[in-house]
Amino acid sequence: MKSVLTIGKREFISFFVTPSGYVILGLIALLTGTAFVLSFLTYVQISQSPSQFGYSSVPDFEETFLSPYFVFCGIMIMFLSPIITMRLFSEEYHRGTMELLLTYPLHDRDIIFGKFSSALTVLLFAVILIALNVFLLLPFTEVEWSVLLFGLCSVFLMGMAVLSIGLFISSLITYPITAGLVSFGVYLIMFIIGNVAEKLPAVAPLPNTFPLLLKNVVEKIYGLFRALLLELPLDNHAKNMALGILEPKDISYYLLCTAFFIFLTFRSLESRNWRK
Amino acid sequence: MIEVQKLTKYYGSFCALKEVSFSICEGERVGLLGPNGAGKSTMMRILTGFMPASYGIAKIGKYEVHEYPLEAKRLIGYLPERVPLYDEMTVKSFLKFVAGIKGLSSGEWKNAVDEVVHTCGLEEVYNRVVGVLSKGYRQRLGLAQALVGSPPVIILDEPTVGLDPQQVVEIRELIKNFGGKHTVLLSTHILSEVSLLCSRALILNMGKIAAEITIDPSRPSGEIEQAFLKAISKEGIR
Repeated sequence: MKSVLTIGKREFISFFVTPSGYVILGLIALLTGTAFVLSFLTYVQISQSPSQFGYSSVPDFEETFLSPYFVFCGIMIMFLSPIITMRLFSEEYHRGTMELLLTYPLHDRDIIFGKFSSALTVLLFAVILIALNVFLLLPFTEVEWSVLLFGLCSVFLMGMAVLSIGLFISSLITYPITAGLVSFGVYLIMFIIGNVAEKLPAVAPLPNTFPLLLKNVVEKIYGLFRALLLELPLDNHAKNMALGILEPKDISYYLLCTAFFIFLTFRSLESRNWRK
Repeated sequence: MIEVQKLTKYYGSFCALKEVSFSICEGERVGLLGPNGAGKSTMMRILTGFMPASYGIAKIGKYEVHEYPLEAKRLIGYLPERVPLYDEMTVKSFLKFVAGIKGLSSGEWKNAVDEVVHTCGLEEVYNRVVGVLSKGYRQRLGLAQALVGSPPVIILDEPTVGLDPQQVVEIRELIKNFGGKHTVLLSTHILSEVSLLCSRALILNMGKIAAEITIDPSRPSGEIEQAFLKAISKEGIR
């Protein structure tokens, strides 16, 4: 545990003696702050004249403004997180310090959890910045605490899953920029898949002339594939949680995703010890 | 203190080390000589647990490096060839970090760091950022991190490469001052360095131990040169 803290502390401090920590927190503050102001002003306009915007009465504050805002923040963190994760392992490989680290008396878990905990601490700062935006509203309006709490939780859990994917990618690639770009590409693909899957028809569009047995098989496979594509995107699971609805499958998704990619990072680091 | 038996390392189909065996006693200073690509760095990386051997046994103390990596690594201080350091840290924070990783308590690290700073002559740059240090100071800092916690085995991979003549003399003096406190394995291709610093030299060529020379300071230095040239010629390979 002491080694985890030592590595985590070094890593966290190095975020802030180099520009990367300031860049990511600055960008998150700027983008989420701007989005907050713009969407709040839009909500004010809607609530002043709901009929103009297609509403029969003043729309629900949490559902129309707060929840989408939290999901947006999660997506923002997803696309900015490569700035955090690209340096975790790749930079060590690139400048050769991995050779030092791997010859010190450390378990792989010390290195992996040390690095992951430093990334989580940066994420926590980002979530605090987002929370500050929302807390500004508290003196003026009543906000459902469940939405506020689970919304912030959804941002943190989504960020945690994203960081674990980035950590794994960083453990595979020697160049930080390449690791960052690959992570960004993976998140982009996951994001696009979610949007595409939503547009897919619920039932496989097969011609009526198709043999019945084959049609049943294809429909089953199609249904499974579609359900998988719908469940895969990281942001989809944040939507319910950001509405204040806590479903075990959403929390499990993020925890399992994190555990899976941390497991893969372990395997990636262990692979150096496989005797060839 | 260091025991190697039939150590073999393949990179794909290329054999970098072929059944290398040797042993080094406690307090001994041994030089690992050889031309470029002889397998010196591979040998050191296996001994320090950075990479596994394909076959064979590498022991530090009583611990086999692949089976008991943590126990073996606790006995080692290692200076890699390129001296990789965290450029954004200060000398003080880097050495404190190394002391923490090597398991020294908060009460112990100050003394341990003070000792290596004094031994390696880093007082002047103690609060400076590593990234602005000269090559000589970087090499000293690399040595200092290897010495933190006073491990019984010190493994140095080409510690004077790329330094100017004055820095080479300084680093050699530092290594000489290790005295009998540490068992030292030093890789180099500078023959005079081995005769100055070591009591024995192992000559590696094409992944095999081609010769073993006991260094006698009273004998002319040309003898090592001749033995080395003989060993790396094809006839010299056992």
